[in-house]
Amino acid sequence: MVADALISMLSVLSDPYLMGLILITTVGGVVIGALPGLGATTGAALLLPFTLTMDPVPAIAVLTTIYVSATFAGAITAILINTPGTSAAAATCLDGFPLAQRGEAGRALGIAVVASTIGGIFSVIVLSIAAPLLARVAYEFRPPEYFALTVFGLSMLASISEGGAVKNLMGGLFGVWLATIGADASTGVERFMFGNYELYEGLNFIPVLVGLFAISELLVQSTTLKLAMEHIAMKAVQLPSMADYRKIWRTVLRSCGIGTFIGILPAEGATVASMIGYAEAKRWSRTPEEFGKGAVEGIAGAETANNAATGGAMVPTLVLGIPGSGTTAVILVGLMVHGLRPGPHLFTEQLDKVYAIFGTMFVANALFFILGLFAAKLFARVTLVPRNILWPVVFAFSVLGSYALAQSMLDVYVALIFGVIGYLFRRFGFAVAPVAIGLILGEMVETNLQNSLKMFDGAWWEIGMQPLAALFLVLAVLGIMQPYIVGWFRRRKAARS
Amino acid sequence: MHPDDVTGRAPAPGRRRWFDLGLPVTVFVFCAAVIHFSLTFDEVPEIIVGDSMQPRVFPIFLMVVMGLLNIALILQITRNPPKRVALEPGVTWFSVVLMGVFYILAEHVDMMLALPVVIFCMCRLWGETRLWVAALTAVITTCAIFFSFDLVLEVRFPRGVLTNIYYG
Repeated sequence: MVADALISMLSVLSDPYLMGLILITTVGGVVIGALPGLGATTGAALLLPFTLTMDPVPAIAVLTTIYVSATFAGAITAILINTPGTSAAAATCLDGFPLAQRGEAGRALGIAVVASTIGGIFSVIVLSIAAPLLARVAYEFRPPEYFALTVFGLSMLASISEGGAVKNLMGGLFGVWLATIGADASTGVERFMFGNYELYEGLNFIPVLVGLFAISELLVQSTTLKLAMEHIAMKAVQLPSMADYRKIWRTVLRSCGIGTFIGILPAEGATVASMIGYAEAKRWSRTPEEFGKGAVEGIAGAETANNAATGGAMVPTLVLGIPGSGTTAVILVGLMVHGLRPGPHLFTEQLDKVYAIFGTMFVANALFFILGLFAAKLFARVTLVPRNILWPVVFAFSVLGSYALAQSMLDVYVALIFGVIGYLFRRFGFAVAPVAIGLILGEMVETNLQNSLKMFDGAWWEIGMQPLAALFLVLAVLGIMQPYIVGWFRRRKAARS
Repeated sequence: MHPDDVTGRAPAPGRRRWFDLGLPVTVFVFCAAVIHFSLTFDEVPEIIVGDSMQPRVFPIFLMVVMGLLNIALILQITRNPPKRVALEPGVTWFSVVLMGVFYILAEHVDMMLALPVVIFCMCRLWGETRLWVAALTAVITTCAIFFSFDLVLEVRFPRGVLTNIYYG
């Protein structure tokens, strides 16, 4: 079993086509991550249609590689122009940019590269070990447990850093409602179709995701055209010195654990992980006063955690079919489009493919280390691409990418409509990731609720009587209350001090 | 959140309260509309639905929860009024209008003609002053994407003025 798994992982290295694809996608991912506004989620959503004709393993390799490399590359713009390429790199700005302003941009990027690689590789190792073990447990889940688990997943939206608990939960519910559009899975009754039979099987995920992430970002970018960016020149990326290593190793280890754990939690992602990684790095630092002025521990804490979250977020995605973040929501759609059914069955029916996915993530982490060290200066130049050229091109990719899956013009219009809806969401302080996660979990929630009711002859309270389901429901309540509980503790602590 | 959100101007308190409550009111209207349409769904015979629920129940349940969350949102807004958001710049409005233009051209003329027209206009709208750069971006992007989708991914595009010539 272990030998088979290792062979599957190593098969990635011996396949020149796959290696070439990972190399090209890593470069593409770093470019996408380095462009402000275009993050891992948008990149994966835009590239998903291009994988349609590929075999499942290369297709998922493209998406996971984009995820890993774009998450790292957000640090390049965070350090050099004080604009995080991805939201996960927002915490990196806090110390990366001040260090760059002191003329040490190369050192800051070197620390980001090393910390990201360690975080990423650590999380892939955890993913390879934890996912099969968790799959064995999840294999025993019945509809009540799955229903409770998806409710737990939705409740975790409350603690996504953007938006706020109430708005994120509302966004998640809106996504779940979107999943009810089309024929009801168990009875065939048409819902919210308004006579449009192209909607019979529901909204296609790809156009909705492209609209929510790519087109809405286009509109957001249009509001910031007048903002000027300060570029900081850099000679070359420097590997951290021994003194730097001595300073950051504890932070890196801590953030590896934090990032992977946060990533494993359903709906949480690299952004939350990097914020917590940064905050913990400051809390445990001997020199917290240096934070915000160019502390290397700050960069290491945030960058290790956000890349460690990538592997962690793949655990619930692959094992339970519950996205660990916005980007894994797109990857989950990719898995489904390519006929891979996420869930514990994936680990019994297509284990070789699962380990090949782990292998690609491992290789992608190693590749962006090399690219980050030797080509970061070059990648930094992509930030100079004028937005008045970049975003119209993104629009074209969005439109044709939406069309490609079902070759339906309706999908193009759906993408445009959700672009405007996504923009309005962001305009009024809602995050769009909860909508995407709710949309993907929607069918799972309703189907498992229906099946649970059938199991218990309509006695819905019996769901809460199942030990594991009860545990998930309690965790769901805690998940919803978590921002308020944390806020209460903070206020109490502040009042005492 | 918008980086240029805050205008710095304080609106009149009464007017502000009404403006802030626009969002929850919209959410309530949405919830009411969904519940209204849900109540029009076909009733499924007991023999099919069994101990499970009618198709209308789940969306209604979602909207009830959404309504409760909306009440929490109103309380939040009342206690802590949000910062006033500046009106979008013209570029944003025109970008949305261009999407509408794309819809009209794609639906009635040709998607492959709509795309370069919209890319060109968007480049110009977003500040590209050189006509040839905007035109080149529009043509190269459209051709590159069209041929990669058509030849590599074997995607067939809807027929129109230009695609009729290509497909014959």
